[in-house]
Amino acid sequence: MTVDTLPYTTFFKAKKGIMSWLFTLDHKRVALLYLYSIMTFFLVGASLGILMRLELFHPGKDIVEPHTYNQIFTLHGVIMIFLFIIPSIPAVFGNFFLPLLLGTDDVAFPKLNLFSFWLYVIGALFALGTLVLGDGPADTGWTFYAPYSVRTGTNVTMSVVAAFVLGFSSILTGLNFIVTIHRLRTPGMGFNQMPLFAWSLYATSWIQLLATPVIGITLLMIVAERVFGVGLFDPSIGGDPVLYQHMFWIYSHPAVYIMALPAMGIVSEIIPTFAQRTIFGYKAIAYSSMAIAFIGYFVWGHHMFTSGMSGPAAYIFSILTFLVAIPTSIKVFNWLATLYKGSINIETPLLFALAFIFNFLIGGLTGLVNGALAADIHLHDTYFVVGHFHYVMFGGTGFAFFGALHYWFPKIWGKMYNKKVANTAFATLLIGFNILYFPMIILGIMGMPRRYYDYLPEFTFWNQISTVGSWITVSSLIVLIVNLFVAANKGKKAPDNPWDGITLEWQTKSPPPLENFDKMPKIPEGGPYNYPNAKSSS
Amino acid sequence: MDHTFHLPNSGHNFDAKASKMGMWLFLYTELLLFGGLFLVYMVYRELNSEAFLLASFKLNVWMGTFNTVLLITSSMTIAMSITALQKGNKILSIRLMWITILAALGFLIVKYFEWGAKFDHGLFPGMDHYQQLPTGERLYFYLYFFMTGLHGLHVIVGAVFIMFVIRGVKKGSVTPERYSLSENAGLYWHLVDLIWIYLFPLFYLIH
Amino acid sequence: MSDKENIHISSYKEHVSTWLALILLTFMTVFVSVFGAELRTLSVATAMIIATVKATAVGYYFMHLKYDPKIYKIMMATVLGLFVFFMLMITLDYITR
Repeated sequence: MTVDTLPYTTFFKAKKGIMSWLFTLDHKRVALLYLYSIMTFFLVGASLGILMRLELFHPGKDIVEPHTYNQIFTLHGVIMIFLFIIPSIPAVFGNFFLPLLLGTDDVAFPKLNLFSFWLYVIGALFALGTLVLGDGPADTGWTFYAPYSVRTGTNVTMSVVAAFVLGFSSILTGLNFIVTIHRLRTPGMGFNQMPLFAWSLYATSWIQLLATPVIGITLLMIVAERVFGVGLFDPSIGGDPVLYQHMFWIYSHPAVYIMALPAMGIVSEIIPTFAQRTIFGYKAIAYSSMAIAFIGYFVWGHHMFTSGMSGPAAYIFSILTFLVAIPTSIKVFNWLATLYKGSINIETPLLFALAFIFNFLIGGLTGLVNGALAADIHLHDTYFVVGHFHYVMFGGTGFAFFGALHYWFPKIWGKMYNKKVANTAFATLLIGFNILYFPMIILGIMGMPRRYYDYLPEFTFWNQISTVGSWITVSSLIVLIVNLFVAANKGKKAPDNPWDGITLEWQTKSPPPLENFDKMPKIPEGGPYNYPNAKSSS
Repeated sequence: MDHTFHLPNSGHNFDAKASKMGMWLFLYTELLLFGGLFLVYMVYRELNSEAFLLASFKLNVWMGTFNTVLLITSSMTIAMSITALQKGNKILSIRLMWITILAALGFLIVKYFEWGAKFDHGLFPGMDHYQQLPTGERLYFYLYFFMTGLHGLHVIVGAVFIMFVIRGVKKGSVTPERYSLSENAGLYWHLVDLIWIYLFPLFYLIH
Repeated sequence: MSDKENIHISSYKEHVSTWLALILLTFMTVFVSVFGAELRTLSVATAMIIATVKATAVGYYFMHLKYDPKIYKIMMATVLGLFVFFMLMITLDYITR
């Protein structure tokens, strides 16, 4: 591999001054703006999580009042979902790498891209504004269920407006990506020659585009209901709170796939690169992304089995829920088959990808337990659910996010991090994560309800284990982030293609120049993952 | 090193097809935004069909019909203005766009009188008469104001959008060769019409 | 690139005839509703069917779907299909409670 020594201007240095960042039309800079803001909110959300775990160390009141605890878990949910996990992979890595993977120099609408970043900032300000304005942050849970969200005195209005604005930002990002994929693929690259990350972003974008408006209008109805004091969902005026739940989950269940699909795309990139082998079942993985996005629209009712939904509707939603597991397991089988007889190079990104499969397996299977009608009656609103969705979101998407960060770090900054530190941080993170969340699954089966600041004494043991896990998790996260931060500033120079990847982003320099490519990128012969040294091909 | 190479598929190129596709995608989000409201309407209509029927008699069918005709006509004029622009007749195109805007204005004026009459009767959510209504009728009027209000907002946005196109045609940034802005404004305006096509029978014609 | 080809310019005549059809349908639906009060259930169904016919005409001719590439029809069908599914499932929940 030749390292090009010709001098060139990286996108970091192409323009100078703070304004050139804040009002940049370069997708790479927008992506980094997102990265810094998202990481900031991730740390805020994580601190709130730590606070909750501390409160739950002993039964009874320890450090916060019950009301404050309700506000903390709501803010934790709102920040982690709307400010971290939904935008995380699409807005950061999608923005940075989608154009590179497609061999173009930007997304289809660069100005719109910048605009959605600023909408994100405005939404974030609204979400954090609840801390100082009005009667404090909402205490409803991130779901804003009516009628409580209509009646509580806390500043629900502002939190809901934040979610609305952030949803709009998410819609515009999705719109941008769909048009980019349709219009800006490099000449000769058909849909079936696209890298799988692009496929997963395509599926994700359709969810962002078609599901988000429904929650947008629902949240507007909540705002109107609070402002005018009359409305649609409060049963005392003839409204139906279950209808709110329908409307809410029509968005929020597909939103789970906004979180999961890009993560699966990342894993589909990392695994063939580090196995140096053609991906097994390219089309199966690509189309299963679309299938997940599609079926994901049809299962929202499984959040409402205990809310008074009718029996027949519940059966159908339960069956449909099981259907989603099929395309997901197709992906898992294909990833494992890709590793089989590959020449595996164990590096930090691959470790994260493997951890994703492990965690997502637990998250997915507990999800099926929740999707089964009879089991759900017992497990609904217990810590089982909390454990389940943290396994999916943090164990799945969170790990894939950090995996992607380690995978593309040398491309973004042109530097290499300390691999030993990175591997150690990964190992402790995986251990800490499982110590933190696995006890929650056990606690849920024991019957501990979620959303309370207090619990019965018999739950103490597992709660304390979980809290200890939260300390390990956060310490490893700090090590991981500091390691990358140091590397970005003082790391050793990385070659343009440190992992011997063959997707298009590795054909340009690290960091890429402003225009991404200074010669026409070459599509690999025989598909995006046809590794020249592959021992076998599918 | 100077950058001399340019990708043919750059995101900074003008791409009429991309902007049209972007507009359509945006329209889908608008459809589902109103779609959410239609879902709520559907459920409450099912639960309170008698009350919805009674409440609908308080609306003026003829004003609604007049507005429907206005919107359909304006939909035609904006479509014609695109044809005119494509054929190179800028003056006709601008005139047709102004007619569309006038129709939008007319629509809003009629709406103003309709809403005004409801305000006089205290039927706006929160007012005295509204609070005394049976719950079904309250839901009806709440939805009526919410949905026509949101639709009215879209009428305003659409009219402003068309004004931008007029400015573009005058300044020469929208031309017979590069007409995608006017096409997009047209698409948006048709969406406004499309939603009204459903709102009108759902609120005025459920006699 | 090849973007210049296949631009279809709709004729004024087509727009006027679409308009005429829409106006006729509007008066028809108003007529059925105002003067067909005893056919109540029928009138709800007809009103929605007529509205759908009108919406299709607007989409097909004014919004140019007829002349657009197939992808636009596929996308539109997907969106409408999703919405119909939402309606069906919510209706199912309410009528079987």
